[in-house]
Amino acid sequence: MLEIKNLVKSYGNGERVLKGLNFSTGDKKLTAIIGSSGAGKSTMLRCINRLVTADSGEILLDGVDLLKLRGKSLQNARRQIGMIFQGYNLVDRLTVMENVLSGRLGYVSLMQGVFRKFPAEDVDHAYQMLKRVGLSQYINKRCDELSGGERQRVGAARALMQNPRILLADEPTASLDPKTSELIMELIANLAEEMDLPVLINLHNVAQAKHYAARIVGLRDGVMVFDGKPDELTNEHLEHIYTAKAELKEQLGHKPRSKR
Amino acid sequence: MSSLTSGPLKELGKESYHWERFTAKQRFLRFIAYLTVAVLLYWTVSSIDIYWPWVWSAPIEIQDMISRMIPPNPGALPEIIPALIETINIATIGTVFAVLISLPVAYFGASNVSPNKVMLWIARVIIVSSRSIDTLIWALLFVAILGPGPMAGVFAVTFRAIGFLAKLIGESIEEMDWGPVEALQSSGASKAHIISYAIVPQVLPTFWAVTILRWDINIRESTVLGMVGAGGIGMLFQVAIDLFRWRDVSMVLFSIILVVLFGEIVTSIVRKKLI
Amino acid sequence: MKHENQAIPLEDHYIWKKPSFIRNPWLRYGLLLVSAVYLIYAFSTLSLDIQRVMRGIPRAMQIFSSAIPPNFAARGELIVTGFIESIQITLVATAAGVLLSIPFGFMAAKNISILPVYALGRAVIIISRSLHPIVLGVLFVKAVGFGAFAGVLTLIIYTVGFVGKLIAEAIEEIKYGQIEAIRSTGAGYFTILVYAVFPQIMPRLIGLSMYQLDINLRASAVIGLVGAGGIGNTLNSAFGRYDYGTASAILLVMIAIILVFEYVSGKLRRFTK
Ligand SMILES: Nc1ncnc2c1ncn2[C@@H]1O[C@H](COP(=O)(O)OP(=O)(O)OP(=O)(O)O)[C@@H](O)[C@H]1O
Ligand SMILES: [Mg+2]
Repeated sequence: MLEIKNLVKSYGNGERVLKGLNFSTGDKKLTAIIGSSGAGKSTMLRCINRLVTADSGEILLDGVDLLKLRGKSLQNARRQIGMIFQGYNLVDRLTVMENVLSGRLGYVSLMQGVFRKFPAEDVDHAYQMLKRVGLSQYINKRCDELSGGERQRVGAARALMQNPRILLADEPTASLDPKTSELIMELIANLAEEMDLPVLINLHNVAQAKHYAARIVGLRDGVMVFDGKPDELTNEHLEHIYTAKAELKEQLGHKPRSKR
Repeated sequence: MSSLTSGPLKELGKESYHWERFTAKQRFLRFIAYLTVAVLLYWTVSSIDIYWPWVWSAPIEIQDMISRMIPPNPGALPEIIPALIETINIATIGTVFAVLISLPVAYFGASNVSPNKVMLWIARVIIVSSRSIDTLIWALLFVAILGPGPMAGVFAVTFRAIGFLAKLIGESIEEMDWGPVEALQSSGASKAHIISYAIVPQVLPTFWAVTILRWDINIRESTVLGMVGAGGIGMLFQVAIDLFRWRDVSMVLFSIILVVLFGEIVTSIVRKKLI
Repeated sequence: MKHENQAIPLEDHYIWKKPSFIRNPWLRYGLLLVSAVYLIYAFSTLSLDIQRVMRGIPRAMQIFSSAIPPNFAARGELIVTGFIESIQITLVATAAGVLLSIPFGFMAAKNISILPVYALGRAVIIISRSLHPIVLGVLFVKAVGFGAFAGVLTLIIYTVGFVGKLIAEAIEEIKYGQIEAIRSTGAGYFTILVYAVFPQIMPRLIGLSMYQLDINLRASAVIGLVGAGGIGNTLNSAFGRYDYGTASAILLVMIAIILVFEYVSGKLRRFTK
């Protein structure tokens, strides 16, 4: 159960990127977050696993306020939250297996991690996971030898190795070609369903969002402006979500278009 | 032929086109640069403290010295060989120590991973002072502290190499891809795990490259440590010079060239195998 | 460590070990053993002795306490003239050395040279590179006497070793197409050099000179230790008199000059690119 209450976040220059966001999800289903570039989608996800620190508000994961955690308890909370990145964020010079196993680092001791001596059940689990995403033949390949789609499959396997309670994905398919993008979305959706996980996923592709998500959240300018089922999302809603700030439009010399 | 030049090409000769390699501003800047260099050189040559008659007689003096050096004296070899081995040992052990010390310095001196400003600045001061003081001056200092011998040489090599290694390794930490670090942070990994999985693999190629490079440099520098009493072949060189044993001098020079080439060959082989 | 929501069925056990960098275990452990034995041997020959280090600590303390605060006043004038001389030596030697490196660089470039000339060029470069400036310094002091001139000669040779090698490498990498284009206009050897080779290595050469200026400045401070002029002379006599206050003043100025110089030459190099 994830609950975000009144979340505020600003970066160095002071302008608020998230302006009192409220959001909650308890269901084991896929929620897509859409919004134009700069709306604060990435910031929202990164606040949840504390890659950035929010200014104020609460983020409750099963009743525990993540914003209050530090040190070891923060690490323990983070391993409950898996994340898939747009740029994969794999360690290129390590093997596929090491990258997948690195998802277990929150659970193993210092020595086990450093010397790659993971518990047998973790190794088994990693192997099954690689099999599931169709990469078991690449176990000892280095990640810089993989294609983009293969890398993202490793990224997904790594996130799920954490055995998370919630999965975050920040535009996981934005660096991929359309066909691979569909395959990866399909994979993430299926895995989440198999593992009974709630998923929060940032998407730019509205068609994909409508197709895969059970719920769509529209973010504009740090404020939630839509929250509903995919078939409730009308063109007027989209127009509203994707209309840039007035001043920005002026800067860009933007002429309003009737239909997107 | 005439059909080819009937078009606009025919007009070509009539219109003069002004072509210059550089724009006016570029030319002005170049002029300033040349002028600065010329003035500097003029000032230097006219004011440097050189006794010019010596300059004109220099070719003869140098020829004379070279003729006294030929042929090199192989009889000096029994002394030279152990000194050469000592030279290589000083370079190697100095490199090992420097690597061990430079790793934490590099980590604390890299602005993206350094735990706090104080550590960052301490590391930077260490790097700058280590790098700006030549090995030989470090050697003078350590001979004064520890007394003459190869130990002072090892310390000198170590202290000079720390800054070199820490600077280059630290820069490679600063330039690495931050994505994997975030990925591991968000999986709940501890700091040590993040270093071992995200930082070390990314920095490793640079680490090996600069370590090998430094070993090569250290061999060169170790050949002269003996001239201030810090061990290695340099002492034999100094003694031969002081006693005007020119044929021993040339033998020592020859073996220094050989040992430096040896270092270069070893490093190029290792580099090829590793990278 | 339970996987509570383990939806994926476990099949067979899978054993995984990180693949080693060196596949062959004999080779791997053999190399490890050889390195370990060599390091232990080398360590043991250097008479590294903790007790001497311990005894050195009070001496180091003494040196540092007399080095702090640095004493700029006592030999202020000598320090200034010493540094000026070092800078003069650096400038003259770099200018002359870079000019001299050009013919040697061309001689030592495999693709435009003939074999005997190539061998000579390479030999000169290898010898100049292998000999530390201080060794050259001693030799030149013996040959032409104490002072700045010996220092200039030393740094010229030192420059030829480094810049000559890099010029040769730059020439070996140039695009052959341009040479052929110029040659096909009927140009002779030197015209080709001027029109096809020079423009390609010129930017590198300017960058290199700047870099070499930096290196020579550092070296000029050291060659004075053996009497080849400059601040090194002053530093050496300060060490000789156990005048660590002056020595530390000199070192501080040296660090400052080197840092300023590094900064300026870095800026200039970026500018000329
Ligand atoms: N590390 C940072 N430092 C300063 N400002 C930042 C930082 N990260 C994001 N911002 C700013 O915060 C705002 C929201 O950024 P965010 O990355 O959350 O948008 P987004 O909705 O994910 O956009 P996109 O669709 O382009 O990924 C932007 O104006 C951005 O410039
Ligand atoms: Mg984003």
